[in-house]
Amino acid sequence: CKQQHDQAVVSTQSGHYGRDPTEDVKRPLTNRRKVKPTKLRSSIKPGTVLILLAGAHRGKRVIFLKQLPSGLLLVTGPYKINGVPLRRVDQAYVIATSTVVEIPAIANDKLTDAMFKRKAKPTKNEREMFIENTSEEPKISAERIALQKEVDAVVVPAVKKVEMLPSYLRSKFTLTKGQFPHQLKF
Amino acid sequence: KQWYQRRVAITAGEYKSYLSTRMLYQRYIEVGRVCYIRLGDYAGKLCVIVDLVDQKHLLVDGPTTGVPRTVVRINQVSITDIKIDIPRGCKSKKVRVESEKAEVTSKFQNSGLFKKAEAKRSKAAMDDFGRFKARVAKVSRNRKIRSTVRKLKKSS
Repeated sequence: CKQQHDQAVVSTQSGHYGRDPTEDVKRPLTNRRKVKPTKLRSSIKPGTVLILLAGAHRGKRVIFLKQLPSGLLLVTGPYKINGVPLRRVDQAYVIATSTVVEIPAIANDKLTDAMFKRKAKPTKNEREMFIENTSEEPKISAERIALQKEVDAVVVPAVKKVEMLPSYLRSKFTLTKGQFPHQLKF
Repeated sequence: KQWYQRRVAITAGEYKSYLSTRMLYQRYIEVGRVCYIRLGDYAGKLCVIVDLVDQKHLLVDGPTTGVPRTVVRINQVSITDIKIDIPRGCKSKKVRVESEKAEVTSKFQNSGLFKKAEAKRSKAAMDDFGRFKARVAKVSRNRKIRSTVRKLKKSS
């Protein structure tokens, strides 16, 4: 097939026969692929307790809120319980337990991928580079803190309703002697 | 008065039953013996010995418990206390009738083997939250025991 490489060779002449290679125009093939968010595992539903397997909070148990358009999962500790803030997490680095907390649907427009975008550092001109920036912006914006409080105000009461769930979320997941992940039921 | 009572003569039947309790083995592999299958396809199920194939194999059947008439190895199986009265090599229908008459399943549920197997099964089926609750319960129980022991040691 003539279209084995990424470019289609469009002949300036009507047919292939007797075409002049120097006059052919190379055009990339049309990409009809539509980007979809990662397919969410059936075991993960809003309110499911997830075990984080990687990152700073590995081993911690968190509550799943929703899947963001990027495909990542939005989770919260809740922050007051185990110190995990509103965070994005990849599905692949998570174990979904069968424990589901009944939380009312959180319909907040601000909970999107854009919220997590890092602010670009202001570029300094040559002179300013030698002047130390003494006034540093707080690492966590007040906006984030407010949003965290708003979300947790809904999640924390729901968690407290279930017996022993807050202490469960406070504890970390570990493997002890004789426990093998492929034999455990989550 | 009590030591006089001990010296009362016993009947022959009583003596025989006393002897049988003194014997090394009380459960035998025989036709009609109810067994618990430990390993293999039908693990966890009860069956009745219908015939003996050789030193290491049995023909078993469990129409009431879902075990088809198959040959199993003796070491795949644990023999129970329960025995039913069936002729050697009898048909599955007869085994079913006799098992239901002897109430094999309900008798087995009172046994230690069943209770241990159930406990193992429920432990394996525990989810992460369940395991956490069990651990907390165990820790608090052991703490209470240890503190009580310490208190008793101090007071004595």
